[in-house]
Amino acid sequence: MRKTLWYAMAIAMIVLATSWISRRVLAASTPSVQVQLSTENVQPREVEDATETAVLRDYKLAWANLASAMEQNRADLLDQSFVGFAKERFGQAIAEQKKDGLRRRYVDHGHKVEAVFYSYDGSALQLKDVAKVEVELLDGSKVVATQPVTISYMVLMTPAENSWKVRDLEAVPGF
Amino acid sequence: MYRIISIGILVLTAALVAVGTVHSSDMAPAKSPDGAVRALYEHAKGRDFKGAFKYVSSSSNTDEQAFVRDMGGRDGSLRTYSNLQNVDTRILHQDDNAAMVRATAEWSTAVGAFFDTRDLKVVNEDGQWKVEWPVEKQAKVPPQVIPVNYLRWDVITRGNDDDWGAQNVEAPRVRIVSMNAIEREGGTIVMGEIENEDTVPAFVAVNATLKGKTGNVIAEESSFDKISHTLLPKEISPFRIDFPKVKLSSVKSVSMQPNSMLVAASADPVIGVLNQHVDKDLRGKPVLKGELINESGQTVNIPHVLATYYDGSGKVVWVSDGYVDQALEPQTPTPFSVGLQQDIAKNVQNYRVTVNQYSLDRTQ
Amino acid sequence: MIRKLLLSTMVVAGCWFAASAANAQGLQVPKTQPAGQELRISGVNGTAYVFGPATAFKAKANGELVITSDQLRAAGMYTVVSDGNSGTFFVVADKASNVAFLARPSRVATAKTGVISGTGFVLDKFNNLVMQPTPVKFSLAVPGTPAETRSETSKNGVAFVRMDSGKKSGAAQFVAAVDDTEVRRVVTQTAADPCNIRFKAEPSKDGIHVVTDPIKDCSGNAVPDGTIVTFTETDQKGRSTVDARIKKGFAEAELPNEGSANLSVASGVVIGNEIHWGGK
Repeated sequence: MRKTLWYAMAIAMIVLATSWISRRVLAASTPSVQVQLSTENVQPREVEDATETAVLRDYKLAWANLASAMEQNRADLLDQSFVGFAKERFGQAIAEQKKDGLRRRYVDHGHKVEAVFYSYDGSALQLKDVAKVEVELLDGSKVVATQPVTISYMVLMTPAENSWKVRDLEAVPGF
Repeated sequence: MYRIISIGILVLTAALVAVGTVHSSDMAPAKSPDGAVRALYEHAKGRDFKGAFKYVSSSSNTDEQAFVRDMGGRDGSLRTYSNLQNVDTRILHQDDNAAMVRATAEWSTAVGAFFDTRDLKVVNEDGQWKVEWPVEKQAKVPPQVIPVNYLRWDVITRGNDDDWGAQNVEAPRVRIVSMNAIEREGGTIVMGEIENEDTVPAFVAVNATLKGKTGNVIAEESSFDKISHTLLPKEISPFRIDFPKVKLSSVKSVSMQPNSMLVAASADPVIGVLNQHVDKDLRGKPVLKGELINESGQTVNIPHVLATYYDGSGKVVWVSDGYVDQALEPQTPTPFSVGLQQDIAKNVQNYRVTVNQYSLDRTQ
Repeated sequence: MIRKLLLSTMVVAGCWFAASAANAQGLQVPKTQPAGQELRISGVNGTAYVFGPATAFKAKANGELVITSDQLRAAGMYTVVSDGNSGTFFVVADKASNVAFLARPSRVATAKTGVISGTGFVLDKFNNLVMQPTPVKFSLAVPGTPAETRSETSKNGVAFVRMDSGKKSGAAQFVAAVDDTEVRRVVTQTAADPCNIRFKAEPSKDGIHVVTDPIKDCSGNAVPDGTIVTFTETDQKGRSTVDARIKKGFAEAELPNEGSANLSVASGVVIGNEIHWGGK
């Protein structure tokens, strides 16, 4: 019986350690963001191939930058990918996190993105994103909660000088 | 000791005076007609116009000031920014009293080498050859007031702050109205015309990308100064883009990118191009000649002439350009000539000349 | 031995699941909450955490956690954590009260089909995108002409329209309206290409004075001043050209008088009439 208890404890330790290590590894190495972008149902005009490529590249980068900014509490990391409301709001969240010693850690499991609106003049692109992103909420280094893994986002991107930037990124209850 | 120093100073002074004297005796009388022309240009090369003028015959009816203005340029013209590099002389004919010498002077300028060929009469004055320097007498424009009330466009843009949704002013609409690619001297030349279709001035540039048989990019180049960059509404400019060393046979397609930018500009000055005609220069080569007339009241310092040549079907077959090394005085016709290759000249049925201008007193 | 091992594994897994389930046990939060409205969450004691799109803070609660209206302005997902329990809710946009209006282009030729586009992003007073379908009224008018009006219902917060430019040149007012809120843009409608250039010639002191009739497009709008009009004279001395600018509606120039000559006029790719000049 005593032997069994030892086995049980050992297995429990292994399970716990594996779980902890996998989270650490996933979080520390900021995995390259996986995004599938579909532009088939976009209105009122088609997305050009070059635009699609640029949007895909810049949207991935935006998530990577958001993750870094939120984890390191550095609003300057938002500059490359965010503009307008999105930049303002995330910047404010970072300022408040910093004040209370909080952080957010993103573990990105991929995005299914559908372009739904592309303006006639090509100056705005709206996306629906079903994102599998686990967000750990930390007080110092202690995880206090984890947000749900699948979240729907309504995204608005606008062209900047050499890239597309996220102007609005709102989580919504569903589409 | 004092005595030695005093003698030393005296000797040094004498030596310096001697050197100075030797230098001024550089104005040696010319013993041959082409020697006189070369000596004149040599002094001009060192910007010693006073010295150069000593080789000008009194029969020229030219005063020194007029000669200096003619040789060294004036009114901020291209010549004032030029340096004489070389002069090539050739005696066309000669007798004991007079000779005709062809002088081809090469001036280096910021826009490239500039060649000025003149046939100069050289006369023998008491054993010294002197040059009859023909200074063109410019008609003096009588004092007057020229009212200038043309349009001027200023541009206020949105600025860098992110006021999303607020309008900005778009770039002007421009269109390439014709394009032609030819092979010449082992290279490919892309040329054509671009029009500002908009109602505002445009700063334009044309880029061309040559693609090979597999769609690969062979070369990319821009029109640089073979274009009039500032185009007023409905103005058409020729452009030419040279790709030396790229054979036309290796090019499958040419992709053109006309770029435009909204720019502040003035509708003034108007430069008329009068009496354009294809003629031959002193060396017998075809040139497009004519006169420019500045209809405004301000001097145009550096005129740049762009010529478009068309064949019988109206296709652009060549674009050439040339700078005029004289400033355009108000209301005063000024000659220009632009080189044209012999083989192209024979296909030319029509041509159009446009003028770019650079003026020191104007920002636009 | 194997049995014991399996048993132990199941015990550990059970404990792990129980712990996870306990952790997931939610606080009593609403599913959605309108933006800019205070939220009170009962049953919260000790340190509580709130994470939202534009906020993140730590607070002490004693039975009730109050999240102020200012802290709930940004639409998006919020998570409240207290004592190992957490709850997630969505702040949704308030009623539409603003519109971000993209109008293009700022300058357009008259009488062109579908050249003016407008996009309205429907926003609430906190600049959250209003997802509920909302009517957006677009209208386009040059002063002195009836407005062209179109009403479009927004989808996912966006309404768009495409309109023709009018026949009359001038500064067209392009307006997008949501409820009582109007956002105004200006689309300058400019004359199109000259329709029919006609000019006449007469002898002058210095040569030939050439002058056009007022230059208009095919809708009768005056072609803007500053537009280039090229006069060309071809005579025995060659060709003379002057790129004149339209001033006060017409263009004029002086050409040399060399006797017999052909005179012509053009603006851009539009060619006008020709005159044969017989001499002085």
